[in-house]
This record gives sequence, C-alpha cells and structure tokens, in this order.
Amino acid sequence: MLTVLLVDDDPEFTDVACTIIEFLGHEVLTAANLDEARDWLTKESFDHILLDFMLPDGSGVHLFEELDALPKRPRVTLITGHPSVRGIIKGLCGPNIDYLVKPIQREEIEAVLSGKKEKKSETGNATIKKYFGHLIGESPSMKELYKLIERVSRTSANVMLLGESGVGKEVVAEAIHAASDVEGPYIATNCGAFSKELIGSELFGHEKGAFTGAVGRKAGVFEQAENGTLFLDEITEMPIDMQPNLLRVLENKVVIRVGGTKTIPVNCRVVSATNRQMEEIAESKVLREDIYFRLAVFPITIPPLRERKEDIPLLATSFIAELNKENNTSFAWKDAQLDTLKAYDWPGNVRELRHFVHRAAIMSDPDKQDIELPKTIESPFAKKQSTTPALQAGRTIEDVEKELIYATLEKVNGNKTLAAEMLGISTKTLYNRLHAYGDLSKDD
Amino acid sequence: MNEKDYATLARHVHDARKPLNRISMQAELVKMALDGDVPPERAKQALDKIIISTKDCSEALTEMMEALGDSQSES
Repeated sequence: MLTVLLVDDDPEFTDVACTIIEFLGHEVLTAANLDEARDWLTKESFDHILLDFMLPDGSGVHLFEELDALPKRPRVTLITGHPSVRGIIKGLCGPNIDYLVKPIQREEIEAVLSGKKEKKSETGNATIKKYFGHLIGESPSMKELYKLIERVSRTSANVMLLGESGVGKEVVAEAIHAASDVEGPYIATNCGAFSKELIGSELFGHEKGAFTGAVGRKAGVFEQAENGTLFLDEITEMPIDMQPNLLRVLENKVVIRVGGTKTIPVNCRVVSATNRQMEEIAESKVLREDIYFRLAVFPITIPPLRERKEDIPLLATSFIAELNKENNTSFAWKDAQLDTLKAYDWPGNVRELRHFVHRAAIMSDPDKQDIELPKTIESPFAKKQSTTPALQAGRTIEDVEKELIYATLEKVNGNKTLAAEMLGISTKTLYNRLHAYGDLSKDD
Repeated sequence: MNEKDYATLARHVHDARKPLNRISMQAELVKMALDGDVPPERAKQALDKIIISTKDCSEALTEMMEALGDSQSES
C-alpha cells in the first residue's frame, strides 16, 4: 500500500480519482493547490505524488524544491493536459519523471503507481513480449494466430497445425497448452520417429511380455497426457495401417495397451502437426480422411517467416539475448545487420534463423559487442532463390530496370501488353526498352 | 496565427480538456460499478456528470470559436 498525494484543482476529477486509487488499495489525500499541498507535506510523508502541472497558485514544478528538501523524496508523476509539455518538464526536472496526460484512464494510474510504465522502451531487448510464454512476433499474421490460439484454448477441440518446416509448430503446441489452463502435462512425441512395430507401444503403451523386449509395463503417451495436451508431430508420417487404431482412440476416448485387454479411459487434447499442405494430405493419402477430421477439428496454419519479416529483428534480438545469458556475452545487433537478416527469405524459417544467429555468435569475439555476420546467408536446404538481393547500392537504375522488366515478362509468360500494364508504362515504352536490350528483332 | 491568438487557443483547449478528463474518469467509475466494485448508484451519478461534462466541453469549444472570431475581426 502506498500513501499518495493527489494535487489537482478540479474537484470532480480528484473525487473520482480518489475512489479509483483507494480501490487499487492505496491511501490517498488531496490538495487543490500548491498551498494545500505544502501543508500536507509538513504533516504526512508520501510515497507518491500525482501533481497537476497547472495549478491556480502556480505550476506544480514549484513544489520540486520542497520535495528535494524532504527526508524521503516521494516519486512524482506530473499530470499534464498537453503532451508537448513533456519536453519542457524534462528540461526542468530531468528524465526520471512519469507523466499522465489528460484525459486519464484507470490503467494509466495503475501503471504509474506500480512503477511499471515505459519499461518496454527503457530496457530494450530484455522485454520482448512472449505471447502465451512462447511465441514472439507483433506482425498481423501472428496477431491473427494469437487470436486463434486464444479461441481454441477455451475449448477442448483437437488442433492440427500446418506449416512449413521450422515455423515453430511444436512451440505453438506448447503455447496452446499454456493458454489452455489444464491440469495435466504436455507430452510430445514424433510419429515419424518410430518403426511400425514400436509406434503402437509408444502411443498406447504395452503390457509386460506383449512382444520380445517388453520386459515391463509401459503407459503410452495418451495415458501420460491425461487431462493435458498430447502433441503428435509429423502425424502424416504415421504408418497408414496404424491409423485405424488411432482413430479408435480418438473416437472412443479409450486405449487398450499392446498385449492388454483392459480399456483405459483417456482424456486429452490432441495437437497434431504436419509440414504438408492440406491439399497434399488429401491427395497423397498419407492420412485417412476420417482421422483427418478427428484431428483437424480446428486447423491452424502457421505463417512462414518470410511472410512476417517485420518479426525477424524481434526474433533475432530474442535469440541473441538467450545466447548472451547462456554464455555471459553481451552481443548486440546493429540496425544494418538486422536489415540484412530481414532481407533474406529464410526458407528454413525460424529454425534456420535461430541456427544462423547461434553460428554468428560462435564466430564472433566473445569479449566484444559486435556480432560478425557471415558474408552470405545460405543453407544447403534452401530452395533456389535469386542470389542478388533485389535492391542494393552500387547497381545502376538501368540494370535494376532491366531485371524488373524481365522478371515481369516471365511472370506473365511473355505477354507484353500485360507486362507493360503491371510495370505502369506504355507498351510502346516496353518495346523500346526491349529493342534497346537487343532482345527484339525489328519485325517483332 | 499570431502569438496572442495561439495563447488564447491554448487556454481554450485547456478548458475543453478539463471536461474530457472528467468524462474519462467518470467512465472508469461506471466500469467499476458494472464490475460491482462500487455501488451501482455511483454509476448513475457518474453518467449524469458525463452528460454535464459533454455540455461543458461543447460550451468551451463555442467560447473558443467566439474568442478567435473576435480576434479575427480585430485584425
């Protein structure tokens, strides 16, 4: 509990503000002008003063000298009607001061009193927000994803996560578990990692002596995830002849251990994941249709990193902060380096970015702040992509123009009218250019 | 706009912002009443005060118009 002094000349405002501050669990006294405020300061000691900038008998700033003379200087938050006053006040009383700008909201009062305001910009990389404790990113596509996660977390529906390799399907599964507020544990297993013989035992468990080597009883992942979340990665890699067994579990919510006879009830949300496209799943018959509908009650597609490039600096900063903590280093990105990272397409998505950051950190001098980036970013798994970045200083306009024209023509299969339209030039200009490149014979 | 006009404008904006601040705070009080944190009759009072404040704000704007209109005709 804090003792707060509220100095403002508007009685209606102080009346309501007092109700709110008291409700927040603090003790509050009010003063309508500087004189009253001075009077209180001689009688009481305060933890925090909310001080109007413009008072009938002078500016709130005049109170600062008295405050400095106090044995225990209270924290001060200035209330101003105009944001532009900030700059002036900063000059007068230094940067260590909070502001409330009228009209004031309850959350703002709460924030200044708890001292949590503006932490974000002050401490920089340490406070990158992790949604649901796991996910990083402020892009619209991620915001959309957060919305989906929040919606589904309130239900017990099975979720299927779709997305390219490395987009973070397992991380999203953990986020769903974290958002769900369930008692049980989070259990993850990879359906592609087990042989046909072993997958049954992994999923459903086995009884002693069920097969050679089954020396004890074992609970399957469905049992382990009781009242929690079961993450089945690479669900499409599961042998097709095992799928009827899985279907039975999903439909009846009971498992029978391999070699057992007793049915064991199970209750968990199944989050499955695949890096195949939905159409591909349907066409290639890697997953039975009935299983698909059981698992993908709520399908979520995770966007690839190249579609949310604005999140790359956040991710890279967060990764380097983790590494710094692990290795006691103090690496920091330069803006230009983050731009370089942003320009790349990251076919291996967040996993590739994390790996790249890790490698760069290893290659850099641990006693310095600078991170050494390799000259090129490339992965042996990367799909073929243009090696020359689209725009780079040192290239001529003519050069870039030529590349753009050819790229556009390729896109529209050589249709010059369409290409000209896309380029925003007349067909005549386009022909002139192509003539100039020597790419067009006279009669073309 | 000269300096004098600007000072007049600033004063009127300040006057108009006062009822806006009251509205904001009273609205917070109504929210608290809906949550059951303060008695419901305070919500009704707060809403009445919000209505009064909107009129005050409108009045302040009218005054500003008049004040600036006067200085326009003076010049």
